[in-house]
Amino acid sequence: MSETERAFPRFLARQRSLVTPIVLLIVLLIVSAWHGPHLFTSDGLAGAVIGAAPLVLATLGITVIAVAGPAGVDLSVGPVMTFINIAIVLGLPVLGASGSLAVFATAIVLGVLLQAAMGTLIACLRVSTVVVTLAVYLVLDGLNTVILPQPGGTAPDWLGSWSAASSILSPILYVPLGAFVLWTLITASTFFRNIRLMGANDRTAFVSGVPLIPTRIGAHAIAGIFVGIASVMYTGLIGSADPTAGASYTLSAVTALVIGGASLAGGRAKGLGSVVGAIDIWLISYVLSTFNFGLNASYWVEFATGAVLVGALFAGGILAGFSPRGWRQQRG
Amino acid sequence: MSGRAGRASGTGGAGIWRVARRERSALTAGAVLVALIAFGATSIGGFWSLLNLRSNLVFASFLGIATIGQTLCALIGGLDLSIPFVLGAANVGLVKLMNLGVAPGLGIAIVVGLGALIGAFNGALSNRLQGQSLVVTLGVGNAVLGLVQILVSKSGVAGISGGTIEGKIPPWIVRFSTFNHAFGVAPAVLLWVALIVLTIVVLRTSWFGRSLYALGGNQTAAERVLVSRWWTWMVVFGVSGATAALTGVLLLGYTGSGYAGVGDPYLFTTIAAVLIGGTSLVGGRGGYGLSVLGVLILTVLQTILSGYNLSQAAQEAILGFLILPTVALYARGPHPRMQI
Repeated sequence: MSETERAFPRFLARQRSLVTPIVLLIVLLIVSAWHGPHLFTSDGLAGAVIGAAPLVLATLGITVIAVAGPAGVDLSVGPVMTFINIAIVLGLPVLGASGSLAVFATAIVLGVLLQAAMGTLIACLRVSTVVVTLAVYLVLDGLNTVILPQPGGTAPDWLGSWSAASSILSPILYVPLGAFVLWTLITASTFFRNIRLMGANDRTAFVSGVPLIPTRIGAHAIAGIFVGIASVMYTGLIGSADPTAGASYTLSAVTALVIGGASLAGGRAKGLGSVVGAIDIWLISYVLSTFNFGLNASYWVEFATGAVLVGALFAGGILAGFSPRGWRQQRG
Repeated sequence: MSGRAGRASGTGGAGIWRVARRERSALTAGAVLVALIAFGATSIGGFWSLLNLRSNLVFASFLGIATIGQTLCALIGGLDLSIPFVLGAANVGLVKLMNLGVAPGLGIAIVVGLGALIGAFNGALSNRLQGQSLVVTLGVGNAVLGLVQILVSKSGVAGISGGTIEGKIPPWIVRFSTFNHAFGVAPAVLLWVALIVLTIVVLRTSWFGRSLYALGGNQTAAERVLVSRWWTWMVVFGVSGATAALTGVLLLGYTGSGYAGVGDPYLFTTIAAVLIGGTSLVGGRGGYGLSVLGVLILTVLQTILSGYNLSQAAQEAILGFLILPTVALYARGPHPRMQI
């Protein structure tokens, strides 16, 4: 077989992890078209964009940490988002700042600082990612409730109006698009290649001269940028501060990450997969909300999220297990 | 174990240090526990009161029984995040079963058995997916609790509302988890003590117990000496599911009504107890005795923090701060330089 003929199967083999999220997306879109066509109106699309954007961006953020592996599951992402959300709504007015520049700068700086601190602990103490992010989860989740026991406060007007947007041609689309452009630039860099190498095999990375500690801290800092932007979108979505949302966002983001085909062993994860995975999660709750479950709605969402997570793991395992032999050999 | 201790005592002073080095985790955790108790006793009035000690022991036994499963999972290098969900599902599920007229004893057997089955499924699936137990158990846990709440809310008979379900709890279930004059302490505490002995004996002396350490230490080597990875993961996670369900039953007796969110604190406190005791999450090192120390430390700490009028949230934050230094003490990974 000539080189050009083999290029296409090889391309397909590399995209295999996208099969599960995209198939799920198509199924969910068909179900929504049948049962909740409101989604495809201008209003519905705008609601979908602002509803899904925080999760999409948060999932992109923890994708970097999954790539930096091994077992790079960031459990802290929900409470970190909530913490920044509270800082925007309650902290910034105290300082007398509520402009868009101040909000974005605060969110991104806080996200980067928190994530870089976690990265430093993981890299320097050589403690597993799960343990460090779990500890930070506990600290921030507790702290959020101490600062703000009940949901309250109001977001700056320009930000609070985002949830009421009736057209997608507004900041609710431009901000995520800007984040995707940033993502594309970052993933094309040599630094990101180093992160991938470190995640796939830190010994190889070490002997190849990749400085492990700065690379890991850098990976977390990149994650912090996206988690910061996600917090701004989240504040725009709910228009106030809510200390209770942390746990559910962690679960949704980790689920989206896994559906998106990220390998938790490290080294392999796709931004596109994570984005589609996060959209899938949002669509599941949207589709379920179009059925009349009444008081049971939250149970159904809980059940469906868990079941889809297990199903995606199953499908991922089967796809990896039964792939044609040639594909695996070409992957090297 | 006894053979090693004998050899150590034979070599005199150096041997004591060797034992101290090997049992570093237990000594550190023990010292922290003693210090906390001393601090609590001097700074908080009524710390030594019988009432406080008894209620502390009951809390410790709930956490302790739920931690059995988490410790075993940690020993083989896994993590069970489904504990709070299975616990809550067993809690509301049992009330529903009794409301439907199932005998309480049979109901308990059903929920604990189902818990074991769910756990075994967790173990089998995690093993199939190269030990990604964290996400597997998270997914399975959510699916199970969601499904149980949907099922419980159906068909009229005293359904669930806001996660709470009312029902007539037989008095013996209540007596089992609360102070009881006949025993001096709640029978749940005696059950915990029995389970501590059983778990430690099984871990230290049985073939199965040693095979957990073998698998956690070096998977490939363990498989070469015919330890079945698949079987061990299933049994360990099955035990974890069963102990979680059992804790749910005990908590039902304590609170008197079913609540799906009753297990929420157990997600992180079981892991914290394992870590603070000194069992490594990487696998192969530690034991249930250490986790018992971790459970006692957490319980005493909670008493002290409550004594200072700190809210549940503030306690959670302080717990988080505590985990890092403990883990940094004895659960650090090797530098890649040492692995080449």
